[in-house]
Amino acid sequence: MKFKSAGKNTIRDRVGLGWRRELAVGILSHLDRIDVVEVIADDLFDAPRDERRALRTLAAQTTVVLHGVSLGMASSVPVDAKLLEKTARLCEEVEPEYWSEHLAFVRGGGVEIGHLTAPPRTDATIEGAAANLERARAVVGAAPLVENIATLIDPPGSDYDEIDWINRIIDSSPGDLLLDLHNLHANATNFGYDAAEFLKRLPSERIAAAHLAGGKWVEALGERRLLDDHLHDVPDAVYQLLTELAAIVPNPLTVILERDGAYPPIETLLRQLDCAREALAEGRSRQFERMEKEAA
Amino acid sequence: MNPFDLGGPEFLLLYFCFSLIVILAIAILRRRAESGPAPKIDLGDPYLVAYLRGGEDEALRVAVISLVDRGLLAMDDQIISRADHVTSDMVKHPIEYEVLKKFGDPGEAPSIFKDDDLKSLIRPYRDKLERAGLMPDAAVRRDRLMRLLLALMALGVVGVIKIVIGLSRERPVGFLVVMMIAAMVIALVSSFPRLTARGKATLADITNLYSGLRTRVNSFSPGSASAELAMFAAVFGVTALATTPFGYAQTLFPRATSSSSCGSSCGSFDSSSSCGSSDGGSSCGGSSDGGSSCGGSSDGGSSCGGGGCGGCGSS
Repeated sequence: MKFKSAGKNTIRDRVGLGWRRELAVGILSHLDRIDVVEVIADDLFDAPRDERRALRTLAAQTTVVLHGVSLGMASSVPVDAKLLEKTARLCEEVEPEYWSEHLAFVRGGGVEIGHLTAPPRTDATIEGAAANLERARAVVGAAPLVENIATLIDPPGSDYDEIDWINRIIDSSPGDLLLDLHNLHANATNFGYDAAEFLKRLPSERIAAAHLAGGKWVEALGERRLLDDHLHDVPDAVYQLLTELAAIVPNPLTVILERDGAYPPIETLLRQLDCAREALAEGRSRQFERMEKEAA
Repeated sequence: MNPFDLGGPEFLLLYFCFSLIVILAIAILRRRAESGPAPKIDLGDPYLVAYLRGGEDEALRVAVISLVDRGLLAMDDQIISRADHVTSDMVKHPIEYEVLKKFGDPGEAPSIFKDDDLKSLIRPYRDKLERAGLMPDAAVRRDRLMRLLLALMALGVVGVIKIVIGLSRERPVGFLVVMMIAAMVIALVSSFPRLTARGKATLADITNLYSGLRTRVNSFSPGSASAELAMFAAVFGVTALATTPFGYAQTLFPRATSSSSCGSSCGSFDSSSSCGSSDGGSSCGGSSDGGSSCGGSSDGGSSCGGGGCGGCGSS
């Protein structure tokens, strides 16, 4: 399959928005402020040909990336071959700059969970994820960026903590990391660890993209938990993490704001993109200063 | 065997097939010549989209509807006028400015179709669409004409030879004459569609990208979603507003009837919007109730309405 060249070491950081039909007018009227649009791949797997072709017209206007949600990469079960074929066909048609998937499991024993679930963090799921990512690379023609997920419970039966588990998967697989900063913020809040320290332990040269979103507090298992729901504005803590990220990542970043409902006016979302740009700029500035000091 | 020696009914059948092949051939050749990947154009400009779908009158209709919705034009039955509080700095688009200027003197909405100043403002859209390969430019029109002339020549030569032979043999040729004329007329009519094949495909794609508006238009209240209302009218046609809270559009433009490719002098309708697509927006599979990173549910009464981004907090 063909992927548009990302021109890795030459492109500036970019900020974009998830494509939702409800936001179509807002997005297409403000492409001067939206560098990239992320389309949910699974919405198009079985869509009529016309609908998939329309995506090419969208791709002619701006950079398009595809985001998958149903492959279930982090599983000891092999990823569904038919879904991989559909992903490959869609990538062939749309020619996205990259595609991405989650480090989650979504099915087992033939049962669809209908939900991105954190698997037990074990050697079996690390090996399963590596095998699935390699399979995806072979079928689609390019490995996906892999995304960390949020969870309300620490997966039972785990042998590793989250950072070690993610690092081992990244080490053993071809895909770079799409770091969901709200997922990281939610997990760090819910399980009491320092998100900024987590960032520093990731292989910074393998981080290619980031997601921003919002969430809300819920009661779960008798405790107060932060839920990543994509229905609320991006909190300040997530922008701060974006600054930290931009301060350590050497490559250009693609940052996508995800919003799945309770849509505010487009201006509100555009302001959040502006905030993301400011956060990135500050992080880059810190990185530059650090490099200058080191050089001196 | 010489086909010109065939009997009347047999030759008529042969000529019918020959005409079909010729007409299909010029359609296929035109499609091939005028197809291409979608160009980069301003899909956020409702007047460009309206022009692509229905021509210059349609773009003007959308401008009027948009200005009425924003309260900049006042409406009294079929007469519209510039609202009292309107100043020239309230609109940025030159077409909107000119429409407001025109309705400084109250009049019926369709009077804008005869306004030369407005037409001159709209015309550059045609140039843009021609440059993008979505409407036929001079070169495309010349190619179409050449193909048509070749088709007419083929239909004419074959038909006339048989007519001459038939007349020399004192056979009736009336049916053949009628069939020949009909074939030529069909070739002529089908040779000059308003849009190129690329334009037709791009219009279908635009309709698809904006298909979510169809389900949402009834939830718009006047003045609350003017950009989306203008785009709805541009993509689906002014008459598609008839069953929405914006039914006044049909009062303003009662002659906007169904057609989509009849040029700028007739009405518009959304017959071009048949590329149905699923609506309902995102459904990214994951649920939002358990910490998934790809929510997709829209149940959650957000409290973030116009909330801004909380000062960015990145320092």
